[in-house]
Amino acid sequence: MRIKPALLGIVALLLTGACGQLRAQTAEIIVNPTVEQVPLDRERLRAIFTMRLKAWPNGPPIRVFVLPDNDPLSDRFYRERLGMYSYVLRSLWDRMVFTGTGLAPTVVRSEEEMRALVQATPGAIGYVSKEGGAWYLRFPRHVPLAHVESPHS
Amino acid sequence: MRSAESQAHRRRKQRAIVMVACLVGCAPAAAAEYQFHGYAAQGFVYTTENNFFGESSDGSTDYYEAGLNASVQLRPDLMLAGQAAIRDAGISDDGTLRLDYALADYRFLANVDSSAGVRIGKVKNAMGFYNETRDVIFTRPGVLLPSVYSDNQNQRSLVFTAPGAQLYGNRTLGRHEWSFTGTANVDRNVRKSDERLLIDLGGLPFDLRIKDSWNAQIMDSLDGGMWQFGVSYFFGRFTLATPDAIGIAGTFDVGLTLFSARYNAERFSLTAEYVLNPNTNRVTAGGIEILRSRLVAERSYLQGEYRLTPQWALMARLDAAFSDRDDRSGRGFAAANPGADRKSRQSRDVTLGVNWRPDEHWGVWGEYHWIDGTASLQPLENPNGPSDNRWSLLMLMAAYKF
Repeated sequence: MRIKPALLGIVALLLTGACGQLRAQTAEIIVNPTVEQVPLDRERLRAIFTMRLKAWPNGPPIRVFVLPDNDPLSDRFYRERLGMYSYVLRSLWDRMVFTGTGLAPTVVRSEEEMRALVQATPGAIGYVSKEGGAWYLRFPRHVPLAHVESPHS
Repeated sequence: MRSAESQAHRRRKQRAIVMVACLVGCAPAAAAEYQFHGYAAQGFVYTTENNFFGESSDGSTDYYEAGLNASVQLRPDLMLAGQAAIRDAGISDDGTLRLDYALADYRFLANVDSSAGVRIGKVKNAMGFYNETRDVIFTRPGVLLPSVYSDNQNQRSLVFTAPGAQLYGNRTLGRHEWSFTGTANVDRNVRKSDERLLIDLGGLPFDLRIKDSWNAQIMDSLDGGMWQFGVSYFFGRFTLATPDAIGIAGTFDVGLTLFSARYNAERFSLTAEYVLNPNTNRVTAGGIEILRSRLVAERSYLQGEYRLTPQWALMARLDAAFSDRDDRSGRGFAAANPGADRKSRQSRDVTLGVNWRPDEHWGVWGEYHWIDGTASLQPLENPNGPSDNRWSLLMLMAAYKF
């Protein structure tokens, strides 16, 4: 019987943790108007956000913009659209930056800055939050990695 | 992808904010993209016995590392990059400024599912998970690298970075992303500060060079990096030359075959690596062979990392290194060399560490090592021999990167 209060405490803690993430909404991709229509499936997004693919099919260089690693929206976007964890991406980027084998994405401070820079930079791609995701998408802990597809891909 | 209509709508909506952003500074549209990055870290090392990375038995700050780099993407298929770095680590590194890498990278194939290119210049050698960025603590699991990387055992100069040509490629096949890196390095000189760690001819003058070195790595990354498996191979030959009057010459072949495996979960990562390290030494005096030996060293570790929060992480590691895999206990060595300590042929290290990253730029690391054996010590740093086989090592490091 003594276990019960402890269990309740743990459940309460978990719920508090989950509710803390309520503000995190699902992410949608934005691109600069100069970018041609190409399917942004997971494979292409991974190639773009791991900085392996450096140009759009019609030629212009890809410019990648991201929110800080610990921004809940970054976390959601990487999980949902790339099927990757934020820390795995960061270690890839750090490795490129400190071996001279690639450029890191440009980190912006807010979604407003993200929209403005993606709008203003030819070839740019980034992500912002989208209103009204399904309720279960609001609990990131329950989102299985790489199994949630946004209808916008 | 967004429809043209909604893009137009968004464009109207955002015109004002774009204008504001452009006042602050818009990058020229088609200009080359460039970036500057850097890192700096200061360490503190304390040992209960023996000296490691400086006079650590009194507490040493003789361990720091810093670097500054620039990269320019001239075209999507052409990049130039270079990094200058300094590092001091007791006797094993001396804090002189060096060119870490300087390369031109031409990518002749770039598709969604495959890419390939060539790098020319001074390039980093891909060995295991950590060799290429071994001096940047933000890319390491802790302050001290596992023994597989021989941070205090003289192989840095051989495997770290060297002038040469590098071929690389990626191929995505279903869940798998295969990558390959192969490097051929040119003949090069060993720095004087490294020579003294490798060869002791009792004060006689000598010159040490590295010839015929090459390396290759194949890595398979599954499910966006959740699983990673790799095999790395390195071969390098040191050649020793002395003036004709002395007449001593030698070749020292060093091979490394490194197996790597990692599982990256949301909160934790498990990493294991194992290296086989054959050393074949031949020395002649006046053309007559005076030494011929072959030893295969062996080092491995199992490491767990746990991310408590985005700011705090814990690390635990079991590490074992043996100078001769056919004589792991060192008893054979002790029998053949009267007075020698068998524990100098091995090192077992249990490590617990913690890492705090208050933001994306700063990090603080702390770790404690319980060590049995003295194979990881530098003789020049412990001139009277190890003071004890069982010793502990505390390492702290504070670092900044941008």
